[in-house]
Amino acid sequence: MSGLFDLAVAVARIAIMLIFCLTFVVVLTWAERKGAAYMQDRRGPNRAKILGLTLGGIFHPLADAIKFLFKEDFIPDHVHRLFYQMAPMFALAPALMTIAVIPFGPPVTIAGKTIPLQIADLNVGILYVFAMSGLTVYGVILAGWASNSKYPLLGGLRSSAQMISYEVSLGLSIIGVVMVFRSVKLSQIVASQGELLWGIVPQWGVVVQPLGFILFLVALYAEANRTPFDLPEGESEIVAGFHTEYGSFKFSMFMMAEYFHLVVGSLLVATLFFGGWQFPYLASSGFVLPGGFSIGLPGAVVLLLRIGALFAKVVFFAWLFIWVRWTIPRFRYDQVMRLGWKVMLPLSLLNIFATGIALLLVA
Amino acid sequence: MPNFTINGISVDVPQGTTILEAAKTAGIEIPHYCYHPKLSVAGNCRMCLVEVEKFPKLQIACNTIVTDGMAVKTDSEKVKQAVTGVLEFLLIHHPIDCPICDQAGECGLQIYYMKYGLHKSRYAVEDKVHKKKVQDIGGQIILDAERCILCSRCIRFLQEVTGTGELEFFQRGDHSEISIFPGRPLDNRYTGNLADICPVGALTSKDFRFKCRVWLLRGARSICPGCANGCNVEAHFKEEILYRLKPRQNDEVNKTWMCDPGRLEYKKANEARLLTPVNRENGIPKAAPWEAALSSVAFRLWEMVEKHGPGSVAVIASPQFSNEELFLARKLADEVLRTPHLGFSLRTVGDGFADDFLIKADKNPNTRGAKLLGISEEKFDDIVQNVADGKIRALLVFGNGIADLSDAETGRLLANVPFVVQIATNEGAVSRAAHAILPSASFVERGGTFTNHAGRVQRFWMGFPPRGKARSAIEIITGLANRLGAGWKSGGEAQVFRAIAQSEAPFAGMSYESLGELGQTAGGKG
Amino acid sequence: MAIGIKKVARPRRMSMGETLYLLEIVKGLGVTMGHLLRNIVRQENIPTIEYPEVRRVMPPRFRGLHRLMKRPDGSPRCVACFCCSTACPAVCITIVAGESPDPKVEKYPVRFDIDMLRCIFCGLCVEACPCDAIRMDTGWFTPPENTREKLIYTIDMLLEK
Repeated sequence: MSGLFDLAVAVARIAIMLIFCLTFVVVLTWAERKGAAYMQDRRGPNRAKILGLTLGGIFHPLADAIKFLFKEDFIPDHVHRLFYQMAPMFALAPALMTIAVIPFGPPVTIAGKTIPLQIADLNVGILYVFAMSGLTVYGVILAGWASNSKYPLLGGLRSSAQMISYEVSLGLSIIGVVMVFRSVKLSQIVASQGELLWGIVPQWGVVVQPLGFILFLVALYAEANRTPFDLPEGESEIVAGFHTEYGSFKFSMFMMAEYFHLVVGSLLVATLFFGGWQFPYLASSGFVLPGGFSIGLPGAVVLLLRIGALFAKVVFFAWLFIWVRWTIPRFRYDQVMRLGWKVMLPLSLLNIFATGIALLLVA
Repeated sequence: MPNFTINGISVDVPQGTTILEAAKTAGIEIPHYCYHPKLSVAGNCRMCLVEVEKFPKLQIACNTIVTDGMAVKTDSEKVKQAVTGVLEFLLIHHPIDCPICDQAGECGLQIYYMKYGLHKSRYAVEDKVHKKKVQDIGGQIILDAERCILCSRCIRFLQEVTGTGELEFFQRGDHSEISIFPGRPLDNRYTGNLADICPVGALTSKDFRFKCRVWLLRGARSICPGCANGCNVEAHFKEEILYRLKPRQNDEVNKTWMCDPGRLEYKKANEARLLTPVNRENGIPKAAPWEAALSSVAFRLWEMVEKHGPGSVAVIASPQFSNEELFLARKLADEVLRTPHLGFSLRTVGDGFADDFLIKADKNPNTRGAKLLGISEEKFDDIVQNVADGKIRALLVFGNGIADLSDAETGRLLANVPFVVQIATNEGAVSRAAHAILPSASFVERGGTFTNHAGRVQRFWMGFPPRGKARSAIEIITGLANRLGAGWKSGGEAQVFRAIAQSEAPFAGMSYESLGELGQTAGGKG
Repeated sequence: MAIGIKKVARPRRMSMGETLYLLEIVKGLGVTMGHLLRNIVRQENIPTIEYPEVRRVMPPRFRGLHRLMKRPDGSPRCVACFCCSTACPAVCITIVAGESPDPKVEKYPVRFDIDMLRCIFCGLCVEACPCDAIRMDTGWFTPPENTREKLIYTIDMLLEK
């Protein structure tokens, strides 16, 4: 009975997380198009109708999905058939798997059992995240190579170089967080961020690691191939980069992977630097404000507030991704490399060094 | 020789020259409508008014004979005013028909209005006198009385050239108009010239009516292929379509005239053309590329000569072809195929109508040329007899038909030959029976010379390259000969004509330069 | 001869704050967000014209698709004078003239085709027409079609417009 319960819980968690992320991806594609339109003084999607309602074009992702599903699954003659078909899966799967270690709420107790609101609370959480995100580059390179065509190959090459460059900074920028919170377990990091620094400010990652946050954010954009680092796609230079030769559902898998990255990236930023599901000054019993005030709240309300807090943070960072994309133009290739190796890498090393000294001094 | 000055230029002219003609030799243009070099002087249009010193009034240049010491001015203010005034009078009742008038573009009124008129009309449109438009007056002519400026060129032409006099002036004053007598339409074979000499759009060609605007046409100097007279013509075409033939002045041959049947000769270059080489395989005609067609024809001819001897091959030349082509055809038969069977016939299907002016009974443009080049007419019947007897294994036919044989007769005759090759421009009984068809260029698609009935060698020029895949017969014959091992140099018609001038006595000393535009008479008897 | 030297305006050296980008990026984000919010609040100010429900109002002299004018009795006003096809620099007008059944008209276009794919909308045909038979005042540009043949407008289509 207990085993079946555990299984049901595990499946439920996976299902909830996946459904949330997939729905979010769908909404994001709409937000991206509509947001871009408004930023550029256009109207954006407003044609798809259900029962005469357009609702600001919210049905367009649905129309897109139907179109992708029913479009001919075309494989060009000149491609490597096996790798060509594998590439979109390689792009999508690691992105999906990354969400496994992200806590989306505090552990809850149901029927006497403590259930962590996390698919898997690995003790090497962060390492797992990097292992997975490191795999996504294969999808892109494979697509570029298997397409057997010049633009995809260029896109794939750019992507590999860029990912290797920024992977380093991405990893190093987290070290500071790990050093401060003394854990690589994500649930532990989130829990630590619930404490108050000097009794006033929530001890969020961004407060204790401001430089680390900026470095992480920039490196994350590069990892997710988002503007200003979307060189692998580079529409104005290499058509559509690695997915030039892809159409129908395979193309949509690449698109989904891109937005999944965006969601996962937002979750990570929220988790590592913005307290994950922590709501400022909200303890399990209710609000505890600095200065001795406290407001008691029932446990269910606290849980909802906490999950809601994470959701709000994710929405904000996802929107930031979009917002930045339609604000900043694309970097030139050499600029990307220079930024990665000459600025990001020394700064992240400096950050580790400074964090170490600060920790020593505090201790 | 009287000497006179015109606009200050001193000119010597023969006795009895009019001012208009004298001015032309001095390069000064005097506007005129009723004057025509080949017609009598009427002097009724008054366009050619000029100022002659010591004359109180302006004189008409077309009918004033130049005298010694005369001083003429054509560009004085007085003359200009007078000419503009005359033009305004002529245009008073002229309808505003230019958009629908076939003459537009080559109309005397348009040309002189732009040069001497450019006045605003002082006559209300509704006051204009209306006359009968679109009258079919017989022949090739449509009459629009409203457009007429009453210059009487047409009337004089019909009285002086054809002598038939179908047209005359009727009515008086503003209502004057030209017309035929009731129930007596134009009845001669030279009506087309009326459209040419009419300086306005009153008489236009029925055949050319609304076909094309004249400013879109380009012209090529040519020779009418309709009969042995060899009238000099201008072939007017747009892109690859011929639209009309107009006479070109050659006082030795056709002056400025042309017959009606000749004017319709252009149709053969447009309709039912053979445009691609055809090889007949198992009775089914198949389009073939030139290389393959020439090679297979050459091979079949060689095969026949090898198997059955040169006597089994015959060549029927055609007086429809140019001197150059006939010369090469003769060389092909004599030197390459070595067949004794080479002949031609000047007989053609049709009535063979002839008159004492331009129309000749022989409907071929180059019969005389063929004879002068030594192609025998007597041998033709011989060849036909041999063909009928089944002694001919391969027959090379030039031209669209064989003599005056009807379609059925042609088909029966050619059924006796295992291999018939045709070099021709148009479809017909021969092309239906031929085993291989090598399409040749029409008379505007190639250059060359025809020798007319009087032995006058006259050039015609290429207007546009051969239509479709057709080629000039010179190329075709050279191609065949070279595939049979002759090793001829390929060259244009000018090169072939040089060879003719060298080896053929009647053409000795001639060249394209010496022929010029008007031609030269060949020596010797054909 | 002295060689002229032209000073090229070089971009100003960036200040320390600008080279850091961060502040500038935030400024840029402000600009885009400003547009976004403004456009959400005041949608009517978005310049987009929502074709086909809304159409741009063409200026009166806009040269759109051609139309052939009619006489009061409904027959084409065109007399097939070929002036338009002669004036046409794109050679897109094909006319075949014929004898009109109406004796007053005499000449009329049996065929009058305009190849809209070749037309460059220069308006010279309208200028050339002596009968005001062709106009380009429909305010329409060439609509999309799925075959080339459909874009060769025949006389009937041109008369209907």
